[in-house]
Amino acid sequence: MAKSQKSSVGRRGFLKSAAAGAAALATTAPVVEAQRGNNGAVAADATGAPGPTPEQLARETGNVRPPAVVRTITRPASDLMVQVAKDLGIEYAVANPGSSFEGLQESFINYGNPPNKMPEWITALHEESAITMAHGYAKAEGKPMLALLHGTIGIQHGSMSVYQAYYDKVPVVMIAGNDVDFIPAHTAHDMAAMVRGYTKWDAQPETVDDALVALQRAYNEAITPPMGPTLVVLSSEVQKANSPNTKIPAYTPPRFVTVDSTSAREIAKGLVEARNPRIDVGRLRTPEGVKRAVELAELTGACTSTAATNGPMSFPQRHPLCGPGADTNYDYTLGLETGGAQASITGAPLSTVARVRDVDHIDFGGILSPGRRGGFGGGRQAPSASPLQADAEASLPLIIEEVKRQLTPEQKARVKERSAKTATANHAARIVALERAVDAGRAGWNASPISTMRVYAELWPLIRKEDWCFSSPSSFSGAHNNQLWDHDKPYSYLGGQGAGGMGYGAPASVGAALAARDRNRIVINIQTDGDLNYAPGVLWTAVHHKLPLLTIMHNNRAWHQEYMFVEYMAGVRGRGEDRAYIGNTLRDPWIDYTKMASGYGMAGEGPISDPSKLSAALKRGVAAAKRGEPYMIDVITEPR
Amino acid sequence: MKTNLNRGCAVLLALGALAVPATLSAQGRGPAPIGHTPEPTSPVTGNAVAGKALYYHYACYACHGYNGETGARIFVGNWGHLATEAQFISFLRGRANVAPVTPATSMPNFAANTLSDKQAKDIYAYIRTFKSNAPPLKDISTLNGIVADAKQQK
Repeated sequence: MAKSQKSSVGRRGFLKSAAAGAAALATTAPVVEAQRGNNGAVAADATGAPGPTPEQLARETGNVRPPAVVRTITRPASDLMVQVAKDLGIEYAVANPGSSFEGLQESFINYGNPPNKMPEWITALHEESAITMAHGYAKAEGKPMLALLHGTIGIQHGSMSVYQAYYDKVPVVMIAGNDVDFIPAHTAHDMAAMVRGYTKWDAQPETVDDALVALQRAYNEAITPPMGPTLVVLSSEVQKANSPNTKIPAYTPPRFVTVDSTSAREIAKGLVEARNPRIDVGRLRTPEGVKRAVELAELTGACTSTAATNGPMSFPQRHPLCGPGADTNYDYTLGLETGGAQASITGAPLSTVARVRDVDHIDFGGILSPGRRGGFGGGRQAPSASPLQADAEASLPLIIEEVKRQLTPEQKARVKERSAKTATANHAARIVALERAVDAGRAGWNASPISTMRVYAELWPLIRKEDWCFSSPSSFSGAHNNQLWDHDKPYSYLGGQGAGGMGYGAPASVGAALAARDRNRIVINIQTDGDLNYAPGVLWTAVHHKLPLLTIMHNNRAWHQEYMFVEYMAGVRGRGEDRAYIGNTLRDPWIDYTKMASGYGMAGEGPISDPSKLSAALKRGVAAAKRGEPYMIDVITEPR
Repeated sequence: MKTNLNRGCAVLLALGALAVPATLSAQGRGPAPIGHTPEPTSPVTGNAVAGKALYYHYACYACHGYNGETGARIFVGNWGHLATEAQFISFLRGRANVAPVTPATSMPNFAANTLSDKQAKDIYAYIRTFKSNAPPLKDISTLNGIVADAKQQK
């Protein structure tokens, strides 16, 4: 935590008396009355901390007016905070409302001309949804949006989503309100400690000046490798302070670590002089990085691999150079955010952050086992003769310049010739893989429940000429997009949950749809049923904000993976598989997802179990999404 | 909050290998082609109607789909251990950690005290009714169109 040493703005006393005065008007609710101790306060908990008073709870439950402000505020600090967000180009701020950030919320919706634009306030029904919306948005756009959290309770509601964003190395900037004179249970001296082990940076500034700097720094920390969620805790006093003379500090963009000039020269030499170079491309930071990777591949005629079917910001899958090439004996391989035999450039792994931040030694994810898949060490990568810890995206311009400088006319001619051969070979390989997938996809084509392959196949002709984003993890629905669809944009497929936690698909899709809304893009969410049921209220957010989102339910009416686990265990123990459905199925009753959607105002249709009716429904769904009308199609599907 | 990374992948791969190759289309791999081993002709003594109820009740469908040709582990067209009733029962009784049968050692064990021979025969009778209903590619315009479009992209 970075904590300011400067004195606070000194308004606590004022606010305290104002709150007490307002609370005196309250009508005490019976439920509160029943919990009162002898002194009228709610009984202290086991730690001795007092619980909320009736007056405090009355205000929280909406029975009184907000505390009167007796002083004229000519320039609220929260306006300046919103201006910082505007200056950073932040498009959205999402929150479930909370009294600890009422000052900020009022500024977000009223400050500026026009008000409530850049950032626009987005209403969430749960903090977990809010943060995962920001997670999905960041994966689509390569930059953060804001998520606001209400005190200790908001942080804890959102903590799972923070964990996923952290594991996924996704930039999210969070602000938590801390109303120090209100309900004690909603406050803490070190609120950020609850998520410190899985955030990249946090601060609790105590002055307006420090708060503005902290917001800028939170943004910079979030977007520099290893990217991740950051948190600024702002007291209600700081938010509401009058700041007539405060100036917003000049913003200094972050510095990205690049390879040095010697390394850039050697890498360029390796690529230029190689008979058969290759570039393996992992997940870059932003669309600009993708553009640069394409430029380098085209300059050198290197065939490439891509991570575009695993997540965003990688090499275009159907680019002519993407594939195995004509000759798989590569004599120089460069890895960009992944391994490469001769050289690899990878940003700092999360373990570098965890070493500093995991002060409680929780060791999330087995961070001390670098070989373990999914650990903070970045997973297994091919060994490299020259592993370089730097940001690949920021390093690419240096390498590109070196390549341009070194390339001779003869080498340029060879690049042209090699590129043509590579394109032909890659196209042939793509057709072989596609034909194989299509042949397998015939199985169960006319079956009911509907095969997941048919869902992906029927959808593709409807979206392939659109600007689309596939926002939800596809592994549980067969991942048929891998071969059938073309992942050519940085945001074509947003990949998995990060930490493998459920409750991700729908809110991440809403976040992706926020990114899409003003960019003439549609978002496709093939939504697993178990995942949606964590926090389905996010469907309302999609409708309320008119997002171009098509949700197709992969409704197999069970948690089939866990179903198989329990079956297996019952078999090993010889006790029979016939009771494995207990706790693993969504039956008795089946859930009616279109009714659920309808309750949130979302149009839809289904359940559809006749495959012949699927295509027409999908057409209606795509058309609705293009109109900015979220739509749900409930499809009864095969388990996998 | 459920998790499904390492354990999920490992167990999914380990589960339900009733027949031969998996059709799991995991990231970076294409699905296996439809199998072509001949359909068994051995005698069937069980009751297919009763077998259908058991197929659902014992959650065979969770891995093998509702038709044996979709899902994580297909067997229609890859009949392997399903050639005869006796082979099928032997296979059910010899699963992982109990009495592994090479090469498919990972399907849940179905012990005789939890699934009787009669019940197993009923299930066998039911799955023997499964036929490949995969239409010829020429009859699936959607899939044809996808391949045709891809061929035109250069």
